[in-house]
Amino acid sequence: MKIIFSILMLISLSFATDATIEVVKKVDSLPSLAIEDASINYDDTFKMQFFKSLVADLNVISIFNVDRNHRVTHYNNSYVAVENKDMNYVLRYRLHEGDNGSLNVTMKLISTNKELFSKSYKVSKKNIFMFVSHAMAYDINEYMGEPSVEWMKRKVVFSRIVAPKISEIVIADYTLAYQHVIIKGGFNIFPKWANRAQDAFYYTSLDSSTPTLKRVDIKNSKVTNIISSDGMMVCSDVSADGKTLLLTMAKEGQPDIYTYNTQTKKYKRETTYGGIDVGAQFMSRDTIVFVSSRLGYPNIFSKKLDTNEVEQLVHYGRSNSACSAHGEYVVYKARESSDAFSQNTFNLHLISTKTTFIRRLTAVGVNEFPRFSKDGDAIIFIKNYKAQSSIGIIRLNHNKNYLFPLKYGKLQSMDW
Amino acid sequence: MKSIVLSSVVAALLVFSGCSSKDPVVDSKAQEIEAPVAQEVEGVKTETVSVDDSMIESQTEGMSMSDIENKLSPIYFAFDKFNISAQMQEKISAAAAIGKEEASSFSVKLEGNCDEWGSDEYNFALGLKRADAVKKALVAEGIDASRVSMVSYGESNPVCTEKTRECWSKNRRVNFKLLP
Repeated sequence: MKIIFSILMLISLSFATDATIEVVKKVDSLPSLAIEDASINYDDTFKMQFFKSLVADLNVISIFNVDRNHRVTHYNNSYVAVENKDMNYVLRYRLHEGDNGSLNVTMKLISTNKELFSKSYKVSKKNIFMFVSHAMAYDINEYMGEPSVEWMKRKVVFSRIVAPKISEIVIADYTLAYQHVIIKGGFNIFPKWANRAQDAFYYTSLDSSTPTLKRVDIKNSKVTNIISSDGMMVCSDVSADGKTLLLTMAKEGQPDIYTYNTQTKKYKRETTYGGIDVGAQFMSRDTIVFVSSRLGYPNIFSKKLDTNEVEQLVHYGRSNSACSAHGEYVVYKARESSDAFSQNTFNLHLISTKTTFIRRLTAVGVNEFPRFSKDGDAIIFIKNYKAQSSIGIIRLNHNKNYLFPLKYGKLQSMDW
Repeated sequence: MKSIVLSSVVAALLVFSGCSSKDPVVDSKAQEIEAPVAQEVEGVKTETVSVDDSMIESQTEGMSMSDIENKLSPIYFAFDKFNISAQMQEKISAAAAIGKEEASSFSVKLEGNCDEWGSDEYNFALGLKRADAVKKALVAEGIDASRVSMVSYGESNPVCTEKTRECWSKNRRVNFKLLP
């Protein structure tokens, strides 16, 4: 029995995917999908907005070759539009306005004129339609049996610098199509979700005399002061159970990493190096990765909490100043060129702690602030290129990157 | 039989539609609370304004706080560095002399700043190490450490926003801010 089990283990291990190896899928080899709009009510502008949002979401799930033509039909037509007769799949949907301005959406997935799957959605206002299109793409992805894209339904919280020392904290969907400014006025940065449910977040307020970490409860808008430190105060990560925070504080002007217990409200210094130690992220319950200048330049290290063991994780690049970890994988930001006017200054790279492969994830511009999704399926990051700030999504197993530009301001930091 | 199937499908649709609308509902709640959260931040802003109020009081004692502040020139740094050059050391000595005389009744907040190369924590830490280097130099010149506080604004407080080397070098600085 044990032997059979270990053989099975071996087989599953040898077939497990390694995200540091690029998967190159040919676009042609993906099944084709066309979209048919059978909406009633609503003007053409809104219909096109919804259609475009749905095309974008279906592209991001990376399992179809999505046709961009907007075809109009009746919801109950037995046959797909003539132009779509050779498509592997057709997604037909209908928007209709309900009571009190609610938006109702019904969709069905069709293949060879047979209905495979259908579902209905309802939201209270039409201006949050993008959450419906994300949910539709999510459900189709689930139906097709692909690895979950749970992150698609999560919200992004980001800070945007609008003028020197003036910022806004915004809650958005992952495409930035929906944006709700939750804190405006003042100088508030480094927002970080407080828990998995995303009903509260931490942020740093630089308005008071000492940098202060605050917590906002979104449900009742209650703001609580958590802890202050002279010089610098950032919440870099929150443990999966929400009970432990990884902070960068600078007691005595010395930036170091601290753990903070949200229940006992006690903190503990985790690094003591005299230079810069910042940006800690949980790798597992008892191991963190962080950025340190202990070699004379910023680089990525790991540390087992409760011990003094510090290990250099990245052995490439002369300036690696941000990172995020998920299981064995670490994504980090590397400075590629010391020429500030080069097109190619900061790029993201992915390594595995179990192999020696390095995979470069971005090619041009300033790419920073990488964050793994909770399930490790995707990486979200900030891209600044030619005076435009965008949020980027990298689908690791599909080898695809998507960019969602910000209309104004410069992204300072974000979390999802 | 058909009606049972149909009604179970309808029931399932209702359940699923409930699930799907969950996120947006949370967001619509978020919208409702916009005002209180914004008010809270406004509150903090008012606190900072009170610094200016006390500035008016101090005017009667002679030179105003902002007049003295204008005499304290920023300390500039090299790219990716936080050590103080000989030229900047002279400025710090001059600042320390002011700190011991005209500004002797004030505390000072050192604001560390960086150029736009990166918005991550490392850049903030670099701004802070710059402020800390200036603090150590001031203490070495005889200023009481308890009078000096620090903050880093990273790249978020530029004085110059053009994409030139000259502009970036102006942003890599520590400012002196006097506090009553």
